[in-house]
Amino acid sequence: MRMYPIVLAAALGLCAAPASAQTLNVASAGDQNMVDYVRDYLGPLFEKTHPGVKVVAVGTGPGDAGSQKIYEKLAAEKAAGVPTWDFDVVVIHQKMAGQMVGEQLLAKYRDRIDTGRLVTRDTAANALGADVAGYVMPMFHSQTALAYNPDLIKDVPESYSALIDWVKRNPKKFGYNGIKGGMSGVAFVAGWVYAFGGGADQMMKGPYDTTTKAAWDKPLADLKDFNKSVVITPGNAGTLDMLNRGEIAIGPVWVDMFYTWMAEGKLPPNMRLKLIAPGMPGQPMYYATPAKAANGKLAEEFIAMATSPEVQAEGIVKRFNWYPGIDAKYLEGKLDQAAWQKLFADISPDELASKGEPFPIAPYFNDILEAYERKVAN
Amino acid sequence: MPARRLLGLLFVAPALALVSALFLYPLALSIASALARPDGGIGLENFAKALELYSGDMVYTIFIVAASTVLIGLVAIAIAGYLTIGETPWLLTGLAWLYRWPLFVPFIVAAQCMRTFLAKNGLANNTLVASGLIDAADTVSLLDWRGVIITFVWKQAPFVTLLLAGAMAAIDRATIEAARNLGARRLRCLIEIVLPQVAPTLMVGLILSFVTMLSVLSVPMMVAGSQPTMLTVDMAFRINAYGDYPVANALGVISYLMTAVVAWIYLRQAMRERDT
Repeated sequence: MRMYPIVLAAALGLCAAPASAQTLNVASAGDQNMVDYVRDYLGPLFEKTHPGVKVVAVGTGPGDAGSQKIYEKLAAEKAAGVPTWDFDVVVIHQKMAGQMVGEQLLAKYRDRIDTGRLVTRDTAANALGADVAGYVMPMFHSQTALAYNPDLIKDVPESYSALIDWVKRNPKKFGYNGIKGGMSGVAFVAGWVYAFGGGADQMMKGPYDTTTKAAWDKPLADLKDFNKSVVITPGNAGTLDMLNRGEIAIGPVWVDMFYTWMAEGKLPPNMRLKLIAPGMPGQPMYYATPAKAANGKLAEEFIAMATSPEVQAEGIVKRFNWYPGIDAKYLEGKLDQAAWQKLFADISPDELASKGEPFPIAPYFNDILEAYERKVAN
Repeated sequence: MPARRLLGLLFVAPALALVSALFLYPLALSIASALARPDGGIGLENFAKALELYSGDMVYTIFIVAASTVLIGLVAIAIAGYLTIGETPWLLTGLAWLYRWPLFVPFIVAAQCMRTFLAKNGLANNTLVASGLIDAADTVSLLDWRGVIITFVWKQAPFVTLLLAGAMAAIDRATIEAARNLGARRLRCLIEIVLPQVAPTLMVGLILSFVTMLSVLSVPMMVAGSQPTMLTVDMAFRINAYGDYPVANALGVISYLMTAVVAWIYLRQAMRERDT
């Protein structure tokens, strides 16, 4: 009998919990830093302005795999006819955003929030060829570039062709992670095909033409040859690790990971970045809210806060070293000069505009990956 | 006795249901998906594509897993053998205490440790350089197929050793003592007297290790670069990059076939032993 009051209290507690507190579930694809960003920075900030709300951050894993998992869960909930879906806010990659909009898994919310008009980049409307206008807000823009150690390398290559010559003279000093170990390697390969395959513009904007890939035979054969003199590293982090230990002198990395690792003391402070010609790809991550999110309204408020100039300046640029998702001009005055200059120290805004490319549209993207598997890795 | 037979069936029903739901059903699904064509028909296109793109990785996978299995066998025999017929008390205690540790370390943690341990400028090489055994210029990175094999052996050898040492402890010690009395050296005693008696246990341990290693994703992904790589990485890549479950399932079925060959060898051996 003594158990009775305890059980009763527990039962009451269970009933009362949803009434007194709301939980906002944020599912984020990407590396651990993405989850940290929501858990340690955005979540507490939102909870402060929304008493009684608890933000729960869930990481679904790095790369497109993470977005794939979010997609699979929402698609399953839709197929099962569940009235409200578990995720309120999702953070996804470009490739999957197009598919999710196409399958009506996302809500069209951008025009309903104030910050929606602060976005000017065309990636806010176009995700690798898919029309996503209204369904997504760019959280940040991330860019790949070559990181190098100036102690080990004096004649830093300025372009893909110069890199080929450099690698001939310095075998096994360049390292990248192929295409199966993370997106920095994929970006390097896409940049290679842009540089030597011709028709880069069509690959980025469409329309898709199945015959384009015939022009890639020579560049990919060259890449296979190039690979003989480079180190294939284990993953995005593997490239940074090897740079840190001085085992390679130069290799493609994500700019934000580069600065974060440096701030944590995991890379020598003298390391530099170089965005080589004709260009290397970068990508945004998107905030979106599922079509049947349990807390749709709250999710929109969360995204509005996350894309406000203050949060973009302090959180995205200063703390996490990403390029802002909204137009950079709205950040003026919100950010100290030092933080701004650090972000653009090695890659100027002009260079970023001229050499920062989008990834190819989805069908070309898949073609490049599969052509690499068939012609280079095989 | 139909009533008794029904009761028997009832007893095995939970186990049977579990095997059906968690193994047979997914197996059937994955075979069906591997044979499915985009137009809804049945065909071998997914297997053709898997072979075209990943035949190199299949050979690589078999090589890595087979080489690891052989090395695991040798390490396990050495440790378990010494634990059974060794004569130095402090070494026996130390070894028995130490060898089990990797059992409690998950593959992913082992892989993460090996990433910094086996690198060109990693802990292993730095230690060797600092102790003057090799020159800093001669260090090589072991973060390739060798690293994968080292990680697998480090992780799985204790498991096989545990089984083997148990089996060796259970055999009739009189056979060992008789051989020793007749002047057999310890190594000969191990190979000719002890090992034949525990061979079936060794076989079971190695087959379980073989199957486990075939299914590990983290180690090849984290320790070595992706060209070539093991089939698990290719399966993950098919799904993550293309959302292509059919070819991933075809690769899965090919992995099943690899384990099936080992299982068949084992069963044949077991049947032969029962017949004689």
